[in-house]
Amino acid sequence: MTRAQLLSRTARGGAAALVAGSALGQFVGTAAADPLPDGDLAYARLLVATELLGADFYARALASGKAGPRLAKRLRLARANELEHYQSVGQILSGAGLVPAAPEDIDFGYPRGTFASEGSLAGFALELETIMLGAYLGAVEGIQTNALKPVVARIGASEAQHVAYLATIRGLASFQAFPNPMTIQQVSNALDAYTA
Amino acid sequence: MRTRLTALVAVLLLGAPIGSGGASARPAAGGVTVFAAASLTDVFPALAPENAYSFGGSNALATQIAQGAPADVFASANTALPNQLYAAGVVEKPVAFTRNTLVVVVPKSNPAGIHSVYDLAREGVAVDVAAPAVPVGAYTLQVLKQMGLTQKIEPNVVSQEVDVRTVLSKVALGQADAGFVYATDARTVPGQVTVIKVPAWAQPKVTYAMAVVSKSPNRAAAQAFVRKVLSKAGQAALRRYGFLPLPKPAPTATAMLRGTA
Repeated sequence: MTRAQLLSRTARGGAAALVAGSALGQFVGTAAADPLPDGDLAYARLLVATELLGADFYARALASGKAGPRLAKRLRLARANELEHYQSVGQILSGAGLVPAAPEDIDFGYPRGTFASEGSLAGFALELETIMLGAYLGAVEGIQTNALKPVVARIGASEAQHVAYLATIRGLASFQAFPNPMTIQQVSNALDAYTA
Repeated sequence: MRTRLTALVAVLLLGAPIGSGGASARPAAGGVTVFAAASLTDVFPALAPENAYSFGGSNALATQIAQGAPADVFASANTALPNQLYAAGVVEKPVAFTRNTLVVVVPKSNPAGIHSVYDLAREGVAVDVAAPAVPVGAYTLQVLKQMGLTQKIEPNVVSQEVDVRTVLSKVALGQADAGFVYATDARTVPGQVTVIKVPAWAQPKVTYAMAVVSKSPNRAAAQAFVRKVLSKAGQAALRRYGFLPLPKPAPTATAMLRGTA
């Protein structure tokens, strides 16, 4: 599926209606005005991959039928968020004239038992969201183009909401004053565990 | 046509190390002469032993074919070279037939302690790559750029080779700390190198294409070989050697993202 198809289909599903248009506008404008450094584009590629992983996991989790109604509702919301994030970070690349990775470009794999029960779904979701939060916090520090930082930070805040909910239902609620950022290398290595 | 061909040869010569490749033997009865990317060295003879093969960097082979070397089929580790030859009328319409991925290999002893692509940026690490004109060399540059590592790793490049198998053998012999090769090449020397993943998010799209040479005197047999590679048996042979199937239309991935699967 091309990115355009994904966007089109997502829009038909209603999720894209919530896309932060002003934020996307910032991305596109910035990318069009100045060539982005390779390092920023590398971050964008990495974040696109994390969002594809998130969307893939949540879709599989919902398809497994193991989530009860309350968790399933949250998983659907989280999945919709990840799709919106995918569009936003994908815009960094498309604004630079590049093609963001599409779902068929990366084969994801999951540890045995990931989809076996509601508890395992929530456990893996928490692990995944923690990586995504770390990735965005790291990107806020690592991205050089200042105009990209606000939206990356906002997406990081969204991932933090997911982490907080999942930690709560896992009985792990603990508030962190300064959640840890991850370096691009740490995030890449973490993603390696879930890609073919 | 002649002008376009002359221009193409000139372009190819700019990056082509002449001397690699070169048909080594005559084909057996019913066979054809195949000029193929070095990464196909093991699978093609297993699939069609009746053919004569010349393996090397796809760019060097393309140059030789453009200059009139007696090839019947050209199989390249990218789609660009066959498409260029097609545009110049040198080959018939190319067809994609398989895919591959890029990996990093390090000597089994791993003296530089390399565990990820990022480690190649450390000072003093000796990295071997293929020349930029060779498809695997171009893919390597693409990976480095996509990971934002070009500036950090290029100073560590100690040599640029004529084809992927040369990179592999140099690393296996410990003449470099690491090198970029195709996943299929890495598995041919399992006891000598350790494979390190290139992250999926930075993988280039490595697609192979092949075409019948327009001036082939064995056109029917050449077309039969192309059909054989594309056949179920041919694709199964490629998969046995670690090559990847061509991408299918992606209803599953689409459905997954839509949550309808």
